[in-house]
Amino acid sequence: MGIGYYLQQLVNGICLGGMYALMSVGYSLVYSIMNFSNFAHGGVIMVGAYVGYYALTALGCPFLIAFLLCGVGSGLLAIVIERLVYNPLRKRHAPSLYFIISAMGASIFLENFVIASIDGTPRNYPAVFANSISIGGLSLGIDSLLMIIVSAAALLILMFIIQKTKIGLAIRACSYNERASTLMGVNGDLVIFTVFLMGGILAGFAGILYGMRFIVKPTIGQVTNKSFVAAVFGGLGSLPGAILGSLLLGIMEIFVASWNSTLRDLFVYALLILVLVVKPSGLMGKVTEDKA
Amino acid sequence: MKKLVSLACVALMLFSLAAAGGCGKAEDVIKLGWMGSLTGDQAAYGTCESQTLKLLVDEKNAAGGILGKQIQLICYDTKGDAQEAINVAKRLCAQDKVCAIIGPNASGQCIAIQSVLDEYHISDMSTVATNEKVTVQDGVLKEYNFRVCFLDPEQGRIAGSFVYDYLKYTKAAILYDVNDDYGQGLKDNFIKVFEAKGGTIVAEEGYNGGDTDFTSQLTKIKEANPEIIFTPIFYQDFINIHKQARTLGIEVPMLGGDGCASEVLFDAADAVDGSYVINHVSLTDPAGEDFRAKYAGKYNGAKMELNGYMAYDAFLIWCAAVEHAGSDDAEAIAKAYTEVEVEGMTGKIKISPENHNPVGKSGCVERIDGVNKTYIFETKIPTE
Repeated sequence: MGIGYYLQQLVNGICLGGMYALMSVGYSLVYSIMNFSNFAHGGVIMVGAYVGYYALTALGCPFLIAFLLCGVGSGLLAIVIERLVYNPLRKRHAPSLYFIISAMGASIFLENFVIASIDGTPRNYPAVFANSISIGGLSLGIDSLLMIIVSAAALLILMFIIQKTKIGLAIRACSYNERASTLMGVNGDLVIFTVFLMGGILAGFAGILYGMRFIVKPTIGQVTNKSFVAAVFGGLGSLPGAILGSLLLGIMEIFVASWNSTLRDLFVYALLILVLVVKPSGLMGKVTEDKA
Repeated sequence: MKKLVSLACVALMLFSLAAAGGCGKAEDVIKLGWMGSLTGDQAAYGTCESQTLKLLVDEKNAAGGILGKQIQLICYDTKGDAQEAINVAKRLCAQDKVCAIIGPNASGQCIAIQSVLDEYHISDMSTVATNEKVTVQDGVLKEYNFRVCFLDPEQGRIAGSFVYDYLKYTKAAILYDVNDDYGQGLKDNFIKVFEAKGGTIVAEEGYNGGDTDFTSQLTKIKEANPEIIFTPIFYQDFINIHKQARTLGIEVPMLGGDGCASEVLFDAADAVDGSYVINHVSLTDPAGEDFRAKYAGKYNGAKMELNGYMAYDAFLIWCAAVEHAGSDDAEAIAKAYTEVEVEGMTGKIKISPENHNPVGKSGCVERIDGVNKTYIFETKIPTE
């Protein structure tokens, strides 16, 4: 096995990790403000994948339009979930366990809603970017390349918003201490609205990219389990942590699979347990409280 | 007086008995039962089987029937459900008193009706139930269960000789689902045959059912440089693996079992173009042209499914068995099934008395033409 082989596997790992990153950022964003893991995120991604599928097939949209539609669709859905499910809990100052259980409920609801309204049959995207480019013996699918570029661009824009804008400042303030921030005049509702909107848009992008590369079916939301592991590994609540954790997880997963493919999930979940036991704050996490 | 009444009663009874006997003679037909899914997920399969049988029975009756009698076909819907299959089997055996049953297409239903068949001593000839347990379970032969299709493991052997003898490839890679019995069986038998012939397995990679990313395994396979990749999996993974392989620059064809053969493949027509699937019969085999045309003519241009061919062969062997037995006695037909041999749509069919499976059936390999979105008949490969 030459160096080319390992480079190719590295590229495979980065592609996989890039997709985890798009997904795990949504977890981390919500966690950093609201201190709970939004398990409904997987459902939002799944709906995004369906929006993309129908935009490309039934509506015959060009890819860019379909891509944006996914962002809009998932963004709206994330806000609706926040309004209908989390907002009432928030108003009652319910403990975070309630949020987690509601999130799981929302996720299962979305899955079954799609099964009931569309059906459970897997669907394949039309071939949008089926070609690949070859650089020095390395093969890189256009879809994979797109995934890396989109992940990187979306994450950079997100980081910019959080670091350089006023609403970003508010988000950061809330993530340190929500109650104190709102006392200082930060509009907590607006912050939460923005966080869910951004997480939802990224989920939509992740959905269409995932669907294009793999498949669309009601249960694809479950792949977010791994991106959740990536978020914990990187440090829940930290965006750079989520990205770093995702990339590392993707690369490690690919190399474990190349060694023995049946061990890949064993490895991923063993890592989750190990991180929680040894270093619950993850690679770049800020707090060591409960990580649910 | 009392005596007179009882005498009259006896006379009446005798008369009615004679009348009943007379009636029986008037409708002197041979009853053949069919069961399968006419509703539910597999409705397309069952509909095709029952329509094929109706077509064949009508033809046979028009030509004078069998043993000088007309055939009466009785079809019931199992709704794709094993419990319903048992009810239907009871109705066919106890109420309609058929001499034999054809169908159902699914292994689960065939396995379920065994106790009914044993109770009434009436045989069943299954169409496409490929699970080993349909005819033999825990080493015990099921006396009244038969089938016309080959079994899962045999596909692995067909694949081995197709790759080595027909394609003349000596280097093959394998990618399969490690948690799936079907794939495991195909894989083991493929390796056995392919290596015995002198081929080399250059890479054997597995994955867990539900995985969607195969790039790691495919990169390893690419490094091993095979001439073909054997993929004993189901069509959805077959599509995903193709898509990812093509983006990784793997251009070699792949070979799947009957679990891959589906119209859904053409969703990813570009990626799967040039790969092969094994099936029980070619849906484009020129030998079946007449049959397809006849079927389409009778049923408004309906397309022939695999199940129609299997039902055709089941009917042929039933006719041969009835003629061989010289009667429509259910026991005699069951016995005759293993004594006759017919040239069917899916090749020569001879049922083994040891396991009630057809001996030496051919598998058919088809190439996927992604450009025209169709299958192209490639070759027939015997199972031995």
